Amino acid sequence: MRKSWIMILNFLLLSLSGTLAWAAAEKAQLLEKKVNLANLGGINYFFAKWYNENLWVYALIVTVLMGVVGMLIAFVTDIILKNIGMEVSKIEHHE
Amino acid sequence: MFDIFNVYMPIAEMPFNALILVAIGFSVGVLGGFFGVGGAWVVTPALNIFGFPMAYAIGTDLAHIFGKSIVATAKHRKMGNVDMKLGLISIVGSVIGVEIGAQNVMWLTRLGLAGPIVRYTYMVLLFGLGIYMLYDYLTKDKRAAAQAAKQAALQAGEIQPRKAWNLPPMIHFPASGITISFWTVTGVFLFTGWLSGFLGVGGGFIRMPALIYLIGCPTAIAVGTDLFSVLFSGAYGCFTYAVKGRVEIIAAILMLIGASIGAQIGVTAVKYVRGYGIRLLFAIMIILAGTSVALKQFQFTTIAAWVVMCAALGMCAVIMLKLWVGFKKEKAEKMGHH
Repeated sequence: MRKSWIMILNFLLLSLSGTLAWAAAEKAQLLEKKVNLANLGGINYFFAKWYNENLWVYALIVTVLMGVVGMLIAFVTDIILKNIGMEVSKIEHHE
Repeated sequence: MFDIFNVYMPIAEMPFNALILVAIGFSVGVLGGFFGVGGAWVVTPALNIFGFPMAYAIGTDLAHIFGKSIVATAKHRKMGNVDMKLGLISIVGSVIGVEIGAQNVMWLTRLGLAGPIVRYTYMVLLFGLGIYMLYDYLTKDKRAAAQAAKQAALQAGEIQPRKAWNLPPMIHFPASGITISFWTVTGVFLFTGWLSGFLGVGGGFIRMPALIYLIGCPTAIAVGTDLFSVLFSGAYGCFTYAVKGRVEIIAAILMLIGASIGAQIGVTAVKYVRGYGIRLLFAIMIILAGTSVALKQFQFTTIAAWVVMCAALGMCAVIMLKLWVGFKKEKAEKMGHH
């Protein structure tokens, strides 16, 4: 009996998050905007062009670029910190 | 004088000072690495105060948070501060929560209510959490004594143990040393994910204390695991806001340059500060952030900008000082051994 109640409760809790997401999705609206490309050049033109043409590709460019730039800078900073002796290893946890 | 640092933002279609963006990124990078948070509670109001439209501020912020959290999580993992199992469970709750929050803020924008509602929610959360954590720090010795007395009474059989919320399935997290209901964990991450999307934050400023107080993690593991969760909610937030046309990519890259360097410094400082020290500094920081949001709401825009920037820079200085003192002490100890 207890197991059945646990299963029912688990099912209800699982379906709750899905219902919330579905209910929220009904109100979705994207920003309707086109960037003026007339005075843009180089990398600005590249980003703005994709922004105007396909927001999915633009989103992919943004996400990948954030990851790559972050990792590159981390790699360089790590080398610098290691050289000045600020290496990190496993620590003990004190409250 | 600083106009030479102005860079044209192609998506927002306006010039903006690159130095301000790198400086904001660096400050929140240090804070984020040290506290295990995205730092949007500083970035979003700061960008907004310096003239960024609210819709771009949130999306741009989430984009740079994603890049920065990769840097910080990798370093925390080296230090044994990331509970991967707990972090992975957080992804499900966070992703669903972020989407609901993002949709809600779009809906409020259509109604023209997004600005004040987001700021009031910020204020309540920042002040509430800050005051609670300050209270927790000030009463820690008293509570430790009470806990010891209770433990002694339990062992003597004078009192019965209190029944805890233990709806199955129960999950054990060896890295954190805790066993807890799956539903508690999911509920916490769903709620913090929703806040992440709604306020445009990594969700960390509520998830970090939640990991400590509701889930029971040691502070340093809460910091590392939180950043692991911020990484995924940040990635999802970055993508979903970009798809909705809300990310200013040049601003995000400039902030990320500062943040990636700052995050390395912040994470390394965790090595030299005890758990309660991190909690105290965190409480002070979010109360100051709440004050700046309150000032902004009551039209004291310039003062609010100064408060948030001075608080972030001041706390950065404290963290870097702690790092330097700890590093020097460690170096002196090593020299003593040889």
